[in-house]
Amino acid sequence: MEILLILAIPLALSLAALAVKKTRTIEALNIAGYAAAFLLSVSLADKAADARVNLWDFFCVDGLSAYFIFIVALIDLACAIYSMSYLESDLADGHISPAKTGFYYFLFNIFSLSMFFVGAVNSLGLVWLAIEMTTLTSAFLVGFYNSKRSVEAAWKYIILCSVGITLALLGTVLLYYTASVHGGLRTLNWTDMAAAAPLMDPKILKIAFLFILVGYGTKAGLAPMHAWLPDAHSQAPTPVSALLSAVLLKTAIYAILRFAMIVNSTLGPAYTSNLLLFFGLLSLAVSAGFILVQKDIKRLLAYSSVEHIGIICVGLGIGGPAGLFGAFLHVFNHAVTKTLMFFGAGNIIKHYKTRNMHSMKGVLAAMPFTGAAVMLGAFALAGSVPFSVFISELYILLAAVTAGKYWAAGIFLLFVAIIFGALIHHFSKALFGRKPDGLPVKTEPLSVKLVLLALLGLMAFMGFSTPGLLARFINAAVAVMTGV
Amino acid sequence: MIIELLMFAMLFVTFAMITAKRINAVINGFMWQSLLLFAAMLRLAVASGNTELYILAALVLAVKAVFIPYYLRKITAEMNVSQNMGLILNPFLSLLSGIALTYLCYRFAGYVFSAQAPADKLMLTISVSVIAFGLFLMVFRMKALSQIIGLLVMENGTFLLASWTSGGMPFIVELAVFFDLFVLVIIVGTFIYRINKLFTHIDVSKLTDLKG
Repeated sequence: MEILLILAIPLALSLAALAVKKTRTIEALNIAGYAAAFLLSVSLADKAADARVNLWDFFCVDGLSAYFIFIVALIDLACAIYSMSYLESDLADGHISPAKTGFYYFLFNIFSLSMFFVGAVNSLGLVWLAIEMTTLTSAFLVGFYNSKRSVEAAWKYIILCSVGITLALLGTVLLYYTASVHGGLRTLNWTDMAAAAPLMDPKILKIAFLFILVGYGTKAGLAPMHAWLPDAHSQAPTPVSALLSAVLLKTAIYAILRFAMIVNSTLGPAYTSNLLLFFGLLSLAVSAGFILVQKDIKRLLAYSSVEHIGIICVGLGIGGPAGLFGAFLHVFNHAVTKTLMFFGAGNIIKHYKTRNMHSMKGVLAAMPFTGAAVMLGAFALAGSVPFSVFISELYILLAAVTAGKYWAAGIFLLFVAIIFGALIHHFSKALFGRKPDGLPVKTEPLSVKLVLLALLGLMAFMGFSTPGLLARFINAAVAVMTGV
Repeated sequence: MIIELLMFAMLFVTFAMITAKRINAVINGFMWQSLLLFAAMLRLAVASGNTELYILAALVLAVKAVFIPYYLRKITAEMNVSQNMGLILNPFLSLLSGIALTYLCYRFAGYVFSAQAPADKLMLTISVSVIAFGLFLMVFRMKALSQIIGLLVMENGTFLLASWTSGGMPFIVELAVFFDLFVLVIIVGTFIYRINKLFTHIDVSKLTDLKG
């Protein structure tokens, strides 16, 4: 029942966005809708932590998918609230026309619907379709301002991700080939795959997983397939940048995990783990280089997403209950922290009218509230004590050391340290110092303050303890992966 | 036997596509490729008597062989773009690369399907070659249209493999692939119009504002 409602809410909201003329009404509906969807996702995850929630065999949600649906719902709610003031100021600045806000909310909801769909469907073929739909719907959001740069970004996004998705389809076809020829299956449902997995051809599965990893990895932003990511994240409207970075990338990780579990039950975990570890460390290394020299604040945050996807993949690659717990916790922590940072960056860009961090001075003086939030967020994102990101990174590091993967732990630490230095350097230059003369001191609208405070609260609180309910969701996801 | 002949014809058409210099020739190549795919699907449908395969064959004909070529020709005509594909690699080098790619795909299929029947190996060789040629078109041609055609060729190769594997994937998944293709082509088309309007060209090698 929850599954249907969670899918029905964004669908109804997208239709409402087209039908209702008053922007205020659409916004209120949107916030109420996503608040409801969030509560439903909590209830769904709570149920799925005990047993699979199945609906007509078409939808099936277990601990793993429920956890990702929960995070999508949480970030959707934050973005729905933030969109309100963001679009208002876009309207006031004349960047968009009033008619376009309806279009924005239509796309926003269809995009969210496709992300929920990824987690809810049972067939791996439909997971594939849903991931492609996330690309096609968000391409319009990336090209929303219809400027040369945003259209260029949208074009690269759609083409690169479609190539990736075609390779992932090839991987899915190969999986189906061995599942039907050797395993005797006539479906692509992941619920049936586990039983047939031991019969499948190991060689074909290995190749299929490579295509899946490269294909969905393009969408997840793993280096070296990340080329679309900084462009799309920097050109999209800020609430959408947050959605792309905080949750879209993770839906692709979810799809990879679904395949990895099938491959693992035939080949054992070593094959997929080593590949994930390799791409994770490579993403860390590549993003470190770009973060060092980045001037554009949104591109900086985009490359930081490549870094954090890398960290998540390192955690998944190290595996074991500790590594997986760290990785899933990091999925949550990164989503919360990156959303906060994009919102903060969006406020700063609007006020300073530039993205170049070298021309931003004295943000703390000009925008005390946003400045303080961004300062704390930057420290958290870089992985310093006492924030949540530090805790999940520590879990992953400890898991690596316990598993005896000292070289992986070493490389991990090296790049995290480099990125720490680079992030603090870039942000302290922008935050401190004298604000430009003539720039007024800005106070943010109440809704923005509330969202930032809530995200800050989660970020700081989770540095000390993981709430019991969240730990329950994460443990359920870990249990699905380890097969306990 | 008929299937094998159709497959070789498909490979031949794809070779013609990677050596073509004009956009219309490549669009025609895609149309022929789709027609051959339709014939192959029809042959499989007749052999198995499966209604779902007939429906899929009809969809291949309607979407891939009729609608998409028509839409792409409409775009080229309306935007008044030059017919030049913008070759980065000349036809002769493209042909040589194509032969090398086919050989690599043959070795790849031999490795992956080492335990399978020769017919399966042949099918995998040809579909992976078609996919590789699609990627080749995307990388070594400069026009935005060639990128979408390359993508469509990749999708044709994947579809060929999918329909071969024991009479097609689950029906709903195959329908999903068609739905996706249809939406993709429409959306990419609108973006090509936007690029043409904003930049007054559709040369993607010149889309280099965003870097680093």
